[in-house]
Amino acid sequence: MKQAQVPAVLESVLHEIPGIQITPKEGSRVRVDVAPGALPAILELLKGQLGFMHLSAISCIDWPQTDEFELVYTVWSHEQKMTVSAHVTIPRDPGEYVSVYDIHTPAGFFERDIHEMFGVRFDGSPNLRKFILTSWNGPPPMLKSFDTLAYVEETFQWVDYRPEWLRDIEAKGGGIDSEGEGAPS
Amino acid sequence: MSDTTPVIPDQPEVCRTVDAEERGVWRRVMDRFADHCRARSLFVLHYCTGCGAIELPPTITSRFDMERVGVSPMVTPRQADILLITGYLSVKTLKRVILSYEQMQSPKYVLGFGSCTINGGMYWNSYATVKRLDQYIPADGFIAGCMPRPEAVQQVFLDLMKKIDAGQANAWQDYYLNYDRYLGNQMALFGEEWHTPVDVIAEAEHYGYVGDGTRGRFTEILDRHAAYALRDAPEDYPERGANERLLP
Repeated sequence: MKQAQVPAVLESVLHEIPGIQITPKEGSRVRVDVAPGALPAILELLKGQLGFMHLSAISCIDWPQTDEFELVYTVWSHEQKMTVSAHVTIPRDPGEYVSVYDIHTPAGFFERDIHEMFGVRFDGSPNLRKFILTSWNGPPPMLKSFDTLAYVEETFQWVDYRPEWLRDIEAKGGGIDSEGEGAPS
Repeated sequence: MSDTTPVIPDQPEVCRTVDAEERGVWRRVMDRFADHCRARSLFVLHYCTGCGAIELPPTITSRFDMERVGVSPMVTPRQADILLITGYLSVKTLKRVILSYEQMQSPKYVLGFGSCTINGGMYWNSYATVKRLDQYIPADGFIAGCMPRPEAVQQVFLDLMKKIDAGQANAWQDYYLNYDRYLGNQMALFGEEWHTPVDVIAEAEHYGYVGDGTRGRFTEILDRHAAYALRDAPEDYPERGANERLLP
């Protein structure tokens, strides 16, 4: 497959940012890796000069191996017909970053969601109160270190499911395979 | 019917005091008649959780036509008879389900639709999804499957009608008789500040279903909420006296 070229228009706008790495992906997608300090400037440049008005999403990835959070800011331009995903990594401790609410207003909701699910604090975000998990008192549940199954076992009870037809099968040596392939580990 | 026909003693019909046993017999006769009528006209609350809602349009509309058997959707909980829980319940949704359930008039029937309401289904290891519906509100029946087909939904309605007609669909009474247990399970999820606008204990007294499990250590927490709410009420506020002793 032919290696895609970095779109010239993007290159011309972003080449002055130090330490930036632009990687073309399939179709109209471009991945941009930047240092945490440069991200608001890049979003500002993209919005102001190339019409990247639409912040599609901010997503967060927890990397326990390197003890980092990866934040992905996905923006779309109707003029360029192009998606840019800007990746930054921040250390898990203290897990703080700046809000881009002043550049893209919808960022407020994404930041509130990430704060709830991962515990990342966004400095300057308008509202980091509870969003979806209104009765939640535990640790942020999307962290890889959060043991979902242990929490479920502790919080909820199960129906003991042993119907008649299963007993008949078990009497003949069959039954539910709870150890073998496909069983929850 | 002959064994339930009340025996009226030979005495003047005016100003007669009906003894408890006789009232019980009359009540049973009337209840059986009411159940017989009730089973033929059921309204399902038009409130859907999870993905099972997608099976209800074909169940209700012309392909399967639920109204043939007298079951029809209803938009308000106060006018509905059946609460059909159509799929997984997140902790946040469960609050709304309980609020809707408590607003419904008794007798009311709860049906769990799909595997999720029985044991969590495919969300069995999710931190946000409730595993057993019947721990939080009493259920009259469940439909297994993911998804159950409209035929299965109709079957559970027919089964429920049979149960109502036979006077056996009495799960709603269990909510009054064991309110403390249900409230305790709810509080375990939502925290001790959880309370609903409905005075379930007063309803239990009204319907005559106050049992050993109606009041308990969890309903005492509710009384404390009421005491705090009434703290600033005027001296002559009628409900003040009974709750005042609970104030610290």
